[in-house]
Amino acid sequence: MYLAIREMRFAKVRYALIATIMLLIAFLVLFVTGLAKGLAYDNAASIENMSASHFVMEKEASHRFTRSLLEESVLSQTGKAIGEENVQSLSVRMTTVTNAGAEFKLDVTLIAVKPEGWLMPSVSEGHAITSQSIGEVLVDSKMKESGIGIGSIIVDQGSGLEWTVSGFVSDESFSHSPVIFLNESDWRQLQLKMNALKGADGAASDRSISAIALRADKEQVEQLAAAMSQTEIVTKSQAIAAIPGYKEEQGSLTMMILFLYIISVFVLAVFFYVITIQKSHQFGVLKAIGTRTGYLVKSVSLQMLLLSVSSLMISVLLVRAIEMMLPSGMPFQLHVSTLLMTCGAFIVISLVGALLSVYKISRIDALDAIGRTTA
Amino acid sequence: MTYRLIMDQITHRFEDGGVQRTILNNLSLKVAEGELVAVLGPSGSGKSTFLSIAGALLAPTSGNVLLDGESITGENAGELSSIRLHQIGFIFQSANLIPYLKAEEQLMFVAKQSGIHSSLAAKRARALLEKLGMSHRRGAYPEKLSGGERQRIAIARALMNDPAVLLADEPTASLDAARGMDVVQLLASEAKELGKSAVMVTHDERVLPLCDRVLHLDNGCLIEK
Ligand SMILES: Nc1ncnc2c1ncn2[C@@H]1O[C@H](COP(=O)(O)OP(=O)(O)OP(=O)(O)O)[C@@H](O)[C@H]1O
Ligand SMILES: [Mg+2]
Repeated sequence: MYLAIREMRFAKVRYALIATIMLLIAFLVLFVTGLAKGLAYDNAASIENMSASHFVMEKEASHRFTRSLLEESVLSQTGKAIGEENVQSLSVRMTTVTNAGAEFKLDVTLIAVKPEGWLMPSVSEGHAITSQSIGEVLVDSKMKESGIGIGSIIVDQGSGLEWTVSGFVSDESFSHSPVIFLNESDWRQLQLKMNALKGADGAASDRSISAIALRADKEQVEQLAAAMSQTEIVTKSQAIAAIPGYKEEQGSLTMMILFLYIISVFVLAVFFYVITIQKSHQFGVLKAIGTRTGYLVKSVSLQMLLLSVSSLMISVLLVRAIEMMLPSGMPFQLHVSTLLMTCGAFIVISLVGALLSVYKISRIDALDAIGRTTA
Repeated sequence: MTYRLIMDQITHRFEDGGVQRTILNNLSLKVAEGELVAVLGPSGSGKSTFLSIAGALLAPTSGNVLLDGESITGENAGELSSIRLHQIGFIFQSANLIPYLKAEEQLMFVAKQSGIHSSLAAKRARALLEKLGMSHRRGAYPEKLSGGERQRIAIARALMNDPAVLLADEPTASLDAARGMDVVQLLASEAKELGKSAVMVTHDERVLPLCDRVLHLDNGCLIEK
């Protein structure tokens, strides 16, 4: 494109300025996106990592694991419907723990699953727990920072129960707190203890699990939902959105990103529009000497494309560099797929920004070139 | 004799606040090959309107414009664009060069637009610049050129696609007397040599001796005085 490139060569400063603004906005969009994704992961990693498609919860729990309580009979009921291998019990409880010497307190999330089932993450260090083990748990590796190692004793503040750390799992968190995995018998122990403390008898213990994880397709889910009245089937993303703090956090970050996009559309549109207005006599001359409007439109769009692609490339490099410098505890996550989607959105946005100029160009009359003394 | 530009009974009206004003009234003009015609007239008499119609920029209310014997009436916007590119060479009052193209690129651009092969275009651009005495300035941007030099580049650009008709709208308005004479001299000689039909709208009485015919736009008609 003869004109587009020569004009950018001629007005280097002007275009460098726009490119810089685009670069800064693109960088900010990428960074905030990375932060949002990182926080989302940090918040909900444990649920996110589960290969479940849906969860069965108590109807009144408003999609929250921590509020839901189900009878264990529901497990066999769903297992019969969609296959034993496609259901897993899942129990979640948020609590505070200390170490044996009570030197610190830590807010954690207890998750109880069948150790041999498909909800159990793989052990990154130490050895796994089994259904037979008693008082043994796997903890998230973030807890190492609090001085917890293999063999350490963890005391649950509410129940007073003690567990021994047998191994570590990585990237396991729920509502920003590290996760402790226990087996189902330890979970039952905990339930009994809590009920006893509350002064209730053992009668409540038949409602002992929080939810049931399913691997099911839409049809199966619909059938299942129709068959069960006391429970509700929640999709994975609904369950994640209901994790305390998740929606609020993601909502505000998403709003920031959205506004950044809107701001970029306006900044780019205004910048290009002003330049186009400045050049309207020139466009008139070009049209008068026989340049087609389509050529001029392509020319402006190409300029926008060149600017956005080059500033995106630089900002991607910048974000990657910053990412390497971030402290390891900083929640930041920018996968290639997210990166590509953000870049794609930004390119689309920049082309939308060029629309106003395109409209203006199409309205410029070649007659402007004749009988005007304007410089 | 061949007339490369023929304007046949052109009438043009503008609607102005509900009032119809006839600017051109049954205007007819034939410009022969190699001829330079000057058009004079008071301000507001319709000179620019006349030139816009001749240059396929404005469709007249009625009448016909023929370029090389072919009528351009009823062509769509794209075809008119193409007609302006191939058959008409425009020279405007001032600032009609593209500021970010070097002198030679101004010529190369129009050649590229019309699809002339680039090696041929380069050869022709060199030859034109040579002929108009602008070879030494071929790499200069318009802002670095003097007013007279700019108009010479504009003439070269107008000639680049070998058009049938040259149209100039007050080409000397921003030039001093001597430069103005040079530019019109150039226009006249190029029209003669290359067999173009040239029309120049002007206020500048001093350049009239260089023209083959002088016409006055009066009451919407062209008359010889
Ligand atoms: N688009 C338009 N709508 C209405 N009236 C117009 C329009 N364009 C021109 N006119 C009127 O037509 C008349 C002729 O205009 P034109 O520009 O052709 O004059 P001109 O001879 O070129 O004048 P000048 O020497 O001042 O350039 C003027 O009275 C002008 O006001
Ligand atoms: Mg005029």
